[in-house]
Amino acid sequence: MPINVKYLLLLFLSWISPVYVFCQGFQVNFQGQKQQGMGCSGSALVQDASVLFYNPGGACFASKRELNVASTPIFANVMYVDSSTQQVFRTENPVGTPFSCYALMKSKKFHRLAYGLSLTTPFGSTVQYEEDWIGRFALTRLAMKVFHLQPTMSFKITDNLGLGAGLVWSSGAVSLQKDLPVQFDDGTFGAAEISGKASGFGYNLGIFYNPGGVLTAGLSYRSGINMAISSGQVEFNVPEALEPNFPNGALASSLPLPSVTTLGITLRPKNNWNVVLDVNWVGWKTYDTLAFDYENNTPSLLDTKSARNYKNIIAFRTGIQYAVQRNNEDPKVWFRLGGGFGFSPVKAGYLTPETPDANRWYGTAGFSYAFSPHFSMDASVYLTRIQRGDTNLETGLSGTFTTIALAPGIGLNYKW
Amino acid sequence: MVMGMNRIFIPLIVFSFMACKPKKPTPIITAGQADFSTYISVGDGHMAGYMDDGLSLDGQTNSLGALLQQQLMMVGAPPIEMPWMADQNIGLNLSGLSRLILGYKTDCQGITSLSPVRFSLQGETTSLSTSAYNPSKKFTNFGVPGARMIDLVSTSFGNPNLPQHNPFFARMSMDQFNLPGSGNFSSLQENAFNGGYPTFCSLYLGIEDVLPYAKSGATTNPMSPIAGFPGVGFEESLGQWCEQLFAQNVKAVIATIPNVSLWPFFNTIPYNGLTLDAEKAASLNQIYNPIGISFVVGANPFIVADPNAGMFGVRPAVSGEKILLSVPLDSVKCHQMGSVFPFRNEFVLTLEELSEIQNRIDAFNNIIRQKAATYGFAVVETNTFYQKLSSGFAFNGVALSSKFVSGGAFSLDGIHLNPRGNAMLANEFIMAINKKFSAKIPLINALAYNAILFP
Repeated sequence: MPINVKYLLLLFLSWISPVYVFCQGFQVNFQGQKQQGMGCSGSALVQDASVLFYNPGGACFASKRELNVASTPIFANVMYVDSSTQQVFRTENPVGTPFSCYALMKSKKFHRLAYGLSLTTPFGSTVQYEEDWIGRFALTRLAMKVFHLQPTMSFKITDNLGLGAGLVWSSGAVSLQKDLPVQFDDGTFGAAEISGKASGFGYNLGIFYNPGGVLTAGLSYRSGINMAISSGQVEFNVPEALEPNFPNGALASSLPLPSVTTLGITLRPKNNWNVVLDVNWVGWKTYDTLAFDYENNTPSLLDTKSARNYKNIIAFRTGIQYAVQRNNEDPKVWFRLGGGFGFSPVKAGYLTPETPDANRWYGTAGFSYAFSPHFSMDASVYLTRIQRGDTNLETGLSGTFTTIALAPGIGLNYKW
Repeated sequence: MVMGMNRIFIPLIVFSFMACKPKKPTPIITAGQADFSTYISVGDGHMAGYMDDGLSLDGQTNSLGALLQQQLMMVGAPPIEMPWMADQNIGLNLSGLSRLILGYKTDCQGITSLSPVRFSLQGETTSLSTSAYNPSKKFTNFGVPGARMIDLVSTSFGNPNLPQHNPFFARMSMDQFNLPGSGNFSSLQENAFNGGYPTFCSLYLGIEDVLPYAKSGATTNPMSPIAGFPGVGFEESLGQWCEQLFAQNVKAVIATIPNVSLWPFFNTIPYNGLTLDAEKAASLNQIYNPIGISFVVGANPFIVADPNAGMFGVRPAVSGEKILLSVPLDSVKCHQMGSVFPFRNEFVLTLEELSEIQNRIDAFNNIIRQKAATYGFAVVETNTFYQKLSSGFAFNGVALSSKFVSGGAFSLDGIHLNPRGNAMLANEFIMAINKKFSAKIPLINALAYNAILFP
């Protein structure tokens, strides 16, 4: 067993290349293995340090100090069937590796106070299409990574009610590549890459209510963040004769991250059963336009404003957890099952190869095993298949995207 | 041991996750009520692959005829047989010149810029004296650069002793340049039907019945008459062809004639492209003010010759008139052509001439539509396609238009499409076939074909 753990850790580390694949929009909902086992819900259930992300108001209800690390490699394959040629193209996405690290501390002096730090990857995406695919002039590769570093305080106002707040520092990088419809004399196409770093600030608030009966409830709010792209660069590879038309240089842009409001409830119909339900409102409407402002404009290189027109969405997530309990000892094994439905923020006419999103059903499962009262591990798996046909108003790209995403996750917890 | 197991086991899991891909749908591809088992296409330079003002092997491979047939091969059409040009790809036009490529050219003012230049000093003229006919390999593509509708049924078309003679046809005709003095010449139609009638035929003729007239600024090369005997009149020539197809149960797709004046050849030089500084405007005013023409600093209409314009026969061009791409640009830049020396009639299409041409195209198109309706052929409205290009549109992330060079659809002669443009026009043919014959033939991925290559 120790070998196993070592091996898994190795695997985990080697996968922290900062690449992840889209989830709803480009939101990645993998910040806690126990929540992931229950349909990515559980903002009203305090089980480990990931409560710092899901509901800061609940952190003060944690019984122990805790360290928690987890990663969820995402295996996502997109297939695009062009409607007029019936040709099939696929992505060659690298494995996405969202991860989360939490440290939750309890104050010795003020037992009502908890504080902690989290490092998570709630947004990101790497989509890479196969060479020469039909939409190459819209996109060949998008890589986006966003880290959130969040120091958090949580305070129990009464024995039943906790409040929490965290400051979010968000930092990320984005790179977008596409081919240009200008050809070298051997017929190969030109290409462009836009890249930049982005950062911004936000906050995370939560209320947690535990009346002590069969029900707990939570409400959390993660603010939107406007990620201003600094030191943006655009690089062109075009035939010599066209180089004056496509000057390399600086560019300005920004990427808005949406707010997420979550209302969650947890029911405990029996001692070792939990039923959780989360409802998310995601303020995707903020992603209205993707604009690039080039420093050096030419008649061939004008500033662009692409309408994205995302809409706010709602998502329902639910799950159950069963704790295997023997002889009134503390449980050592937990099983989880869950699923959910989320609307897509992408309106008809705006589906793009960078985010081939659709309304989605998904299913999840998970389990945990406690090696000792201090040390435990979690595992989860997430599976979804989405499909959507559209004709993009801006590019004219018309076809159907089908995506299968499988995300097995693993996490380790240490409590003391 | 456990370690070893994990070395195998974990990569295996990872691999199985990677393999979890959406399944490829089975495409539905059918010919519907059409039968493509023996297929021919007949047309002019578009069908033949004439582009960049020349016929070359590359152009033929990317011709409207070849690209269309390549797609029809998915539903049973035979392989493409054409009178291939030499594989050096030099290209040839009827003046013996090679094809155009985009290169650098230094103009009379010493300014070097991107410009269409000839690929080579001389075209591959030997192609015109070598017969490409092979009795064991019947052509499937009877595209002939310059072919008119009235040439379709005319035996004069391959007769070198007559003005209607077309050398591009002669090199592919079964006459094989004939025995001197034999006097027997076969028509395009006879060649196409030689060895049996096809099951399906694509016909795209009629452009050359008007284009030479338009390209000459409505001075020479009169347009084909609407009526007249087969080989003389448009209607009877097409009629004879259609009747044969119909009698032999041949299904067909026929294309109408686009409004040629939308093409870059007629639209690249604006009517008011005479840009003047103060000095030049003043000196022109000195010349022209006495006859009531004045110039301003900035954009001015070019001066054109017009015998009906007052006693001096010159006037400024008006909006809507076309200055042709055939104007000698160096003369414009350095020798005051279009200003001190008015553009001659051969470089200008006046509004009146444009409407004369358009009326003839409309009359021809009505005949084409009427014949197609009578005989149950599919019709391709090519002008819809060219009109769309003219206004510009986005196609799979690429902005296409009918702009010269930058528009991405026309070749460097400003008349014929480039490979990408041909693929898009072939798609119009496929859509018409699909609709008329309830077929399901996929369209071509047009962006996989070359547009303009830059140095």
